[in-house]
Amino acid sequence: MLVFLAQRLFAALITIWIATIAVTLLIHLVPGDPVRIMFGGFQTTEAELEAIRTRLGLDQPIWRQYLMFLGRLAEGDLGRSIVGNQPVLDILLERLPATLALTLASLAVAIVVGMGLGFLAAVKRGTWIDSTAMILAIVGVSMPHFWLGLLLLFLFSVTLGWLPVAGGDWRSLILPALTLGLATAAVLARMTRSAMIDVLDQDFVRTARAKGLPGTLVLSRHVLRSGLVPISAMLGMQFAYLMGGAIVVENVFAWNGLGRLAIQAVLARDYPLIQGFILFFATIVALASVVIDLLYAVLDPRIRYAK
Amino acid sequence: MTASHHRLSAALLSSALGLTAVPAFAQDVIWARYGDIDSLDPHRATSTLSLQIWDQIYDTLLAFDMDANPVPNMAESWEASEDGLTYRFTLHEGILCHDGSPFTAEDVRFTIDRAFGETPSLTRTSWGPIESVEVIDDLIFEITLETPFAAFLTFLADPFSSMICSGIDTDTFGSSTAIGTGPFKLVSWARGSEIVLESFDGFRNLGQAAENTGAPGFDRLLVRTIPEAQTRLAALRTGTVHIAEPPFDDIDAIRTEGLLDIVIAENTGQNVFWQFTTSRPPFDDIRARQAVALATDPAMAIEIIYGDLSQREWCPISRGVFGNDQDFCEALGYAHDPARARELVAELGFGPGNPLRTTMLVWTGGNRHMLAEIFQAQLAEANIQAEIEIMDIGTMNARVRAENEDVNNTTPGTFDMMTWSWFDPDILFQLWHSPGAYSGYQSPELDALLQETRTTIEPEARLEAVHAVIEYLMTNAVHIGLYTPGWEWVFAVRPEIEGLQVGPFVRPNFLDVTVAQ
Repeated sequence: MLVFLAQRLFAALITIWIATIAVTLLIHLVPGDPVRIMFGGFQTTEAELEAIRTRLGLDQPIWRQYLMFLGRLAEGDLGRSIVGNQPVLDILLERLPATLALTLASLAVAIVVGMGLGFLAAVKRGTWIDSTAMILAIVGVSMPHFWLGLLLLFLFSVTLGWLPVAGGDWRSLILPALTLGLATAAVLARMTRSAMIDVLDQDFVRTARAKGLPGTLVLSRHVLRSGLVPISAMLGMQFAYLMGGAIVVENVFAWNGLGRLAIQAVLARDYPLIQGFILFFATIVALASVVIDLLYAVLDPRIRYAK
Repeated sequence: MTASHHRLSAALLSSALGLTAVPAFAQDVIWARYGDIDSLDPHRATSTLSLQIWDQIYDTLLAFDMDANPVPNMAESWEASEDGLTYRFTLHEGILCHDGSPFTAEDVRFTIDRAFGETPSLTRTSWGPIESVEVIDDLIFEITLETPFAAFLTFLADPFSSMICSGIDTDTFGSSTAIGTGPFKLVSWARGSEIVLESFDGFRNLGQAAENTGAPGFDRLLVRTIPEAQTRLAALRTGTVHIAEPPFDDIDAIRTEGLLDIVIAENTGQNVFWQFTTSRPPFDDIRARQAVALATDPAMAIEIIYGDLSQREWCPISRGVFGNDQDFCEALGYAHDPARARELVAELGFGPGNPLRTTMLVWTGGNRHMLAEIFQAQLAEANIQAEIEIMDIGTMNARVRAENEDVNNTTPGTFDMMTWSWFDPDILFQLWHSPGAYSGYQSPELDALLQETRTTIEPEARLEAVHAVIEYLMTNAVHIGLYTPGWEWVFAVRPEIEGLQVGPFVRPNFLDVTVAQ
């Protein structure tokens, strides 16, 4: 198990290392001169801009900039935001709880709705319940976050007046979590159905039933546990998908998380903040993948002992 | 659920919502905007979103009346020397900073020194050629200029010249703290989410265009960022916010419905115009620039997209700004004439099978992409094939400059729908005097004309000088006025809010605002 954990952590480190290269290259790949974009005022002279390039280390060769960046990173320093002149890490940590709250709430929506529908569809295969669940799944997958968010907003906030539009109290989390969670629920429903049908056709299920075990016990103890293995692997990817989706949903619902921060940083051309966001995001997703892999291994012992 | 779980949930939610402790009795006005400020420091940003907030926190030595004329404000009087080089100002007595300290002439010197300091103000050059600031006593100070500067007094009414109290914490100023003398003091800024401002009891209105002479009549002004226009509208409809920019497509419906008031800013000073990459073909040739101007019909385009919310602007400086004269500019301008545009394009060697190719740069928002598509179709009729590229305004500013400066670029030059809002024709100096804001069109003759507009103080003579610049810019097809206003000038207001005024240059003034229960 320790070897398995070490392998997964090594893979995560590789991912994060690739992200460090990407964020260093970022500032050189974007069109236009970032220093001029960030600091160019009226009648700004080239000498003034050159002084800023020197101060930010942007006059150095790219490999040296990369090493300087790694050096600072080792000390937990992601630089300072140009717009706010605050440490980037502090800003990211300030916004992280909001995005985590949204992502976890969305994941809960996705698991409850998606796996519930998928399980039901598998058990009631070929019936109208199965067809309805899968039609709902297709609708859910096809509807963009942006559009679904606005529809929910107009239904529950403007028309029915049940939930606030943005800000206020804990109820503000419900609509963004539903918006983000329902699309993932649709994917999970299809996955769950397919995984459960595979398991339901297995010999050990037939054996369990032949032994006279009650149907609910067969489903809960044998079918569900086996079916969860491929689905848990999916959850890792869905977590990354939800974090990414939060960028759009946070904007629609004015939810003050990392997603909105990323958009604000891009619009303000705040490159240290953009770089910090990408690296931070990559780290969270990589670590989440490790956790999911561990969960996968717990559910299926064959994985942790595999060479 | 355990107590720690409760605390964690509460922490997650309050962080997400940017909430602060709210006394139950607070009377709030909530204003939603599409974006946030860049900085609380008036020297570190240029966006309208930023200066609208500076306007609430800081005050200025002079103020604009509703007709955009500068009038006494923090400075109760001033005298200029005969040569126009020295100005002696007298401050009102008893002006208080938000930290409780008296505002004195030392604070004025502090502000100006800071604007010209190590990290100078982004709009440093608009302060003019200031040579020195001498403090005579607590209330009297003297500013000496190197050369006469006609826009000097006007600038002192603009938020870019906001007066900063010297008691600021230099480490946190602009990012989390701000000390001014304006009607509201800063409570908090949750970046990207909400700015909380509190009515400042010590405020005295000494010259702002409002009837109220004291502090605002409500407790707090909450400025929230809600990027999505439809969400802002939903928030308005449900009473979550009181004031917001509505989606353009819904303005007619809002008017018909009658549930919200629509307030349209006047004297915005906003000028949307064509400018060109003149460092390479095709726009290094005046005929190509003229062809674009003749081929496009701004009046028709804005009628389709904005209806009566915006209007044709012929001049390079907009209505409400000194020197603007529609008849004068129209006589010099380029009335829609696609046939003439085709002739010019043909002279350049292009035609129906071989169109003049270029790229039109446009900044995001305000349905401008739709406007650009209409212009694109109009240009096509004159055999000009323009691709459209849309980007945020900051990127476009930098891109335009890069296009002009990139000597190795062999692709066809671009042109762009640029915009500025300014209180004085001095904007033309900032844009076009060498090296220029965009390294674009430059000439010694234009530089001399622009210099004249700065150093000529006497109004009639200055008007002539400004008109000479306008004539030069238009005759040479350098700066082609399109329309005004151009952005963030429409406000939807809930009926319980009364007394909101939008002053010149899109500056909402909350001094007379009351909230009906």
